[in-house]
Amino acid sequence: MNAVFAHLRISLRLHFRNRMALLYGYLFPVIFLVAFWVLYRHEKVPLLRHMGELLTVAVLGGACFGLPTTLVSERERGVWRRYRLTPVPTWVVVASTALARLFLLVTAGLLQLGLALALGMTWPAHPIALAVAFLFVAFAFIGLGLVIAALADNVPAVQALGQCLFLPMLIIGGVAVPLAALPEWAQHVSAFFPGRYAVEALQAAVNGRGFPGMRFCLLALSLTGVAGLVAGAKLFRWDGQQRFAALRGKAWLLVAIGAWLAVGAVAEWRGRVAIPADLDPARPAPAPVPAPSPSAPPPIASAPVTPIPAPRAATASSPAAVTPNPAPAPVLPVTPAPPWMSITAKDWDGLDYQVPPDHGIVTPMAAPDEEPDEYTKEQVDKVRAKLPTWSPGVDGDDLSCVRNLLYVAAVPDAIQMPVERYLPRVVYQYLLDSYPRENLMKMLTYIALHPLEGPVRDDISELGIEGAAGDPMLVRERAYLYAIKFLARLTGRKSE
Amino acid sequence: MSPTPKVRVGGLRKAYAGLAAVSGIDFTIAPGEIFGLLGPNGAGKTTTLECLVGLRHPDEGELEICGVDARRHPHEVKQKIGVVLQTTSLQDKITPREALTLFAAFYRQSTPAADLLARFGLVEKADVPVERLSGGQRQRLALALAFVNRPELVFLDEPTTGLDPQSRRELHELILALRRDGHTVLFTTHHLEEAEKLCDRVAIIDRGRIVATGAPRDLVAASREEQSVTIRTSPPLGADVFAALPGLTPVVVDGDTVRFQTKDATATLAALTARLREQRVEIRELTVRKASLEDLFLALTREGEP
Ligand SMILES: Nc1ncnc2c1ncn2[C@@H]1O[C@H](COP(=O)(O)OP(=O)(O)O)[C@@H](O)[C@H]1O
Ligand SMILES: [Mg+2]
Repeated sequence: MNAVFAHLRISLRLHFRNRMALLYGYLFPVIFLVAFWVLYRHEKVPLLRHMGELLTVAVLGGACFGLPTTLVSERERGVWRRYRLTPVPTWVVVASTALARLFLLVTAGLLQLGLALALGMTWPAHPIALAVAFLFVAFAFIGLGLVIAALADNVPAVQALGQCLFLPMLIIGGVAVPLAALPEWAQHVSAFFPGRYAVEALQAAVNGRGFPGMRFCLLALSLTGVAGLVAGAKLFRWDGQQRFAALRGKAWLLVAIGAWLAVGAVAEWRGRVAIPADLDPARPAPAPVPAPSPSAPPPIASAPVTPIPAPRAATASSPAAVTPNPAPAPVLPVTPAPPWMSITAKDWDGLDYQVPPDHGIVTPMAAPDEEPDEYTKEQVDKVRAKLPTWSPGVDGDDLSCVRNLLYVAAVPDAIQMPVERYLPRVVYQYLLDSYPRENLMKMLTYIALHPLEGPVRDDISELGIEGAAGDPMLVRERAYLYAIKFLARLTGRKSE
Repeated sequence: MSPTPKVRVGGLRKAYAGLAAVSGIDFTIAPGEIFGLLGPNGAGKTTTLECLVGLRHPDEGELEICGVDARRHPHEVKQKIGVVLQTTSLQDKITPREALTLFAAFYRQSTPAADLLARFGLVEKADVPVERLSGGQRQRLALALAFVNRPELVFLDEPTTGLDPQSRRELHELILALRRDGHTVLFTTHHLEEAEKLCDRVAIIDRGRIVATGAPRDLVAASREEQSVTIRTSPPLGADVFAALPGLTPVVVDGDTVRFQTKDATATLAALTARLREQRVEIRELTVRKASLEDLFLALTREGEP
């Protein structure tokens, strides 16, 4: 124990003397966080929804590169050979090196978290679950680091091997690029990489359901961690002259690979490969394209992902159609027929139904039989119960009410709340129940043709949903998209 | 009855991928002895030493160190020995004091870092990172680390190789001090003078075998009557010229220089010069002196060379 402590202490001291190690260990995660924050500062994408990814990247960097670089460079220069001349068992030195790394990862994680809080992130929902999830993630990736150290004959090989695991995990493993934005094959591939479970577990602790939402992930992470530890220990070389190719017992590598395959296979078998509902909040902003700031002139086509097409059918266009944020429609005592009454089938048939898929990031919509988890369900039920008494949805003219109701679906989507998949379904059902089908189709079509008309409602906190997108254009765009989605169902273009 | 030897090696064999590096080595080291393993590069010194200290698994042979079966209880042996290898280095940023403290934690018993720093002349460099130490200082640190566990026996693999003359002299002084303090030391070297100066006993090793063992003095005494002759000629001579001459011990041909030992230099040289005159060979240089350990070493290690 004395030896573990002594070696742990010296490992940490040496680490803090190594400028490069500090750079990678601490500056890198901080830069990542700040870059993310700067890139998305116009879009109200709270850091809270991305802490899982940011923490995972920090751990991945420290474990995939930092740990094996230390181990391999010490082995190369003969430090391990020297240790080998003393009675200290190999596991003592390996364990204390791993413990030192754990300390570094935890401090880097806390630094990242602290900085995020300083930048205005709200407190994580489940701090204890977050600590537990973080330890599991660190454990899994330290195991991976040991395997890399065992495979690499020298430091450049560590870099190469590390990149071979790091980059795929970042890009198609669900760590840096949202799973929902990936093609289906990549979603299947991601199930075989532990990075995805790391993000899921951390995110569930940060703003999801906590422990109930991360059981499978913790299992997957411990399995990959244990397998990495076993393979890393069995393949451990203390002699820098010994090449991996010349090593006996290379088959132990299969343990590590086997664990990844097993986790992926179980995930496939249990059908949790398609983006699970509780992962939704973990999705990053659509694309690293800065959204137009609210004060900018509103060229609609520059909205983040799906440009709103300029109204094609000029039918029933009103002078207010292209005026952004007009004053509330004046009450016209003499005009009996509101403008949407003149909409015909020709108008809704002329709309562009090419909209983002229901399971995507932008304007998601749960399938009719999809059940939210309990935490989300509670919120959804609350909104459903309040809708019939929600003033903007019942008072005033029908068109304004329908438009306001669309915002109930659009606002959570714009700020990526966990309920975003389910509220559109609630709103759709409420609309169906409240208006004659024909009228509903006309009003939705009118809204789709005049997306900039009427005031934007960015705040639905009266319904129990806290938060505001702060970006009227974004909310208008999403409301437009939901109008199209509802119309697709009403016109039978999409069957359910 | 003589005390139990500190090292007893019997029939040690080790091959790398089928190529024998050590083929049947036997020797013992008594307590308090400074024992030298002397041999040219590639003779198998490092292999022998690394088998003894538990870094390599011998193919065959018995190893007993400090009364412990080294192949069965390597960890027990490691508690009792100190080692300086030819090729190890510490982390760049570690300081001598930290290294000594760290290694002390690896053993059941240890000497305080401060004592070792004083003993090996590292007090002033105690808190300087290893990367800023000179070669000699690093070697002294390596030696200090070997003494951290108050070892019964110390192994040094070519401790002076690569050191400047000043550091080498300092290290010699340290080893002589070890002898005075009654330490048992096994060290390897390819330097004859070093072995002659420092060792109580040497084993000369060549191509994986021990070709002679004894005190340097005794080894030289065995050939005391012999004289060493070096002759340089033009054109160069072949070994065949000497075959017919009586009383010659092994002949070493090195380019145009030939070296041999003889018990009667006058008679041998008379016969040789007569022959050279016949063949019209010119003598460029000729030296005759008393045989040294070096001559013995060269004779033994060049034997059977093509
Ligand atoms: N790791 C190794 N693999 C293969 N051959 C080796 C290895 N180490 C040493 N040898 C060979 O074994 C022989 C003895 O080497 P070594 O014990 O290092 O000699 P010395 O220390 O006397 O110079 C040499 O021929 C050397 O080339
Ligand atoms: Mg050697």
